[in-house]
Amino acid sequence: MKPYRVFAVLRREMQEIVKSRGLLLAIFLPALFLTLLPLGGIAFLGRALDNVSSGDAQDFARLLTMMPELKTWSVGEVASYVILEQFLTMFLMMPLIISLSLASQSVISEKQTKSLEPLLATPIRTSELLLGKGLTAMLPALAATWVAFLIFLLAGRLLIDSPRVYSSLLQPKWLVAMLALAPLLSLLSVSITVVLSSRVNDARTVQQIGGFVVLPIVILGVAQTVGLLLLNVTTFVIGAIILAAADILILRLGVRLFQREKILTRWK
Amino acid sequence: MIQTHNLAKTFDKFTAVADLSLTVEAGEIFAFLGPNGAGKTTTMRMLACLIAPTSGEATVAGLRVGQDDDAIRARIGILTEAPGLYEKLNAVQNLDFFARLYGLDAATRAKQIARYLDILGLGERQQEPVGNFSKGMKQKLSIARALLHEPQVVFFDEPTSALDPESAKVVRDFIAELKSEGRTIFLCTHNLDEADRLADRVGVFKQHLIQVDTPENLRRKLYGQRVLFRVRDLTDAPKRALAALPFARDIQFNGDTISIALDAPDEMTPRVVNALVDAGAALCEVRPERASLEEVYLDLVKTEPRQ
Repeated sequence: MKPYRVFAVLRREMQEIVKSRGLLLAIFLPALFLTLLPLGGIAFLGRALDNVSSGDAQDFARLLTMMPELKTWSVGEVASYVILEQFLTMFLMMPLIISLSLASQSVISEKQTKSLEPLLATPIRTSELLLGKGLTAMLPALAATWVAFLIFLLAGRLLIDSPRVYSSLLQPKWLVAMLALAPLLSLLSVSITVVLSSRVNDARTVQQIGGFVVLPIVILGVAQTVGLLLLNVTTFVIGAIILAAADILILRLGVRLFQREKILTRWK
Repeated sequence: MIQTHNLAKTFDKFTAVADLSLTVEAGEIFAFLGPNGAGKTTTMRMLACLIAPTSGEATVAGLRVGQDDDAIRARIGILTEAPGLYEKLNAVQNLDFFARLYGLDAATRAKQIARYLDILGLGERQQEPVGNFSKGMKQKLSIARALLHEPQVVFFDEPTSALDPESAKVVRDFIAELKSEGRTIFLCTHNLDEADRLADRVGVFKQHLIQVDTPENLRRKLYGQRVLFRVRDLTDAPKRALAALPFARDIQFNGDTISIALDAPDEMTPRVVNALVDAGAALCEVRPERASLEEVYLDLVKTEPRQ
């Protein structure tokens, strides 16, 4: 593998992203929305939660029986914690959504403009091409996710009154989520796009089908809310292992489908 | 420079190319002619290591297809049927991307990009997005892209299709210039006039190779050599004189024009002229009669049933 070819693909793709309003929106809109939503949630709901009745607090306490350390917290702090956990789960959607938009556009547009044939006629290897395209989809998605999370942490310091609630944002599990789960989720989007691109002719269809990958994230959030699952370092590490295995399998399938001959003779 | 031996490609049950044995010499322009679906592009793709042959062997620039694919791709340039450019990027960015893939250093990239943009007349619009370019300009840019790394062998797939006559001429002249630089050109085309003007040899192809030769030899093989004589007020006496010539074959009269097949025109034409003058004909014009390559091609292709 020649790194300069991977870099050439990455560079060219970035040049195209910079010149495409649609792709820039695909990066910035989810980041903006998924950052402002939890911040707004804290700003508008946070103080009201101090007035939650003891009955409601009991519901929260029931949901969190697996977390005895919260028993000394006030009702408002527990409520804030639960809501923050929900919002933070949404940050995991960001690498999925952004990578899916960028990867689908990257692969499908080559298919539509018939630019793959001259590209494949150069000495570039399939692995170099896919790595370049994968990085194109992953790097902006991860940068957006990490910057958004950082902004959320900084703004949260100003908006969250309770030091105990704020310190919950700094738990190791979110470090695992951002540094392990986010890249793996991003890679999942890329892998799914490569697989779908052999069958689908427009980026929107890839995004619609690929959009189903956000479901597990939503299910995780709901499962925690209803007390079925506790999101902690262990669950995130297990999730990362499962995700890594899924990524490898799907990526292998994608690479198998992404063959020069099939691209040139079967892709219509 | 290019050699194939019994090269074949099948897609499921469809045979696109069968038993293709061919040699293209270094520095030659070889035109590959055939109807739509004849397998020309498939052949080109096999030689450019884009698709694998089902059977047979091929070498390009001394390297074996199927074994040295990366090295072959580094030594060839290809103009595909669709330009396949990145339309949001400008001409320089498009070329720079490909120059990087071929591993050219920064100085060489800049020099080569400037050179080909200048040669192909795109220098003034090099900073415009390619999406604004006309078809002709896109085609020229695609040609520049194929040549940035100075390949030994260049494959052209329909290089002047969809171009206006002026742009087509620029491209044709440029291809001729590439030959003068010693490059080997493999030209897939429907444009028989283009093949006639540019090609050293022509291969007529329809799933398999029907004929390979120079355009001139193909004409001779199919039609022999004919000479056309135009006389004023043709009478019976010259006709009788021609009928008496044993070497004059297939004599055709059309008004005042006489077309005669001659095996050795240089030697026999003066004898025909003498016979006509002696018979009292007023000879106005004598010239060799050339069948067009189109006639030759149509004759060859129509006798070959599609497989």
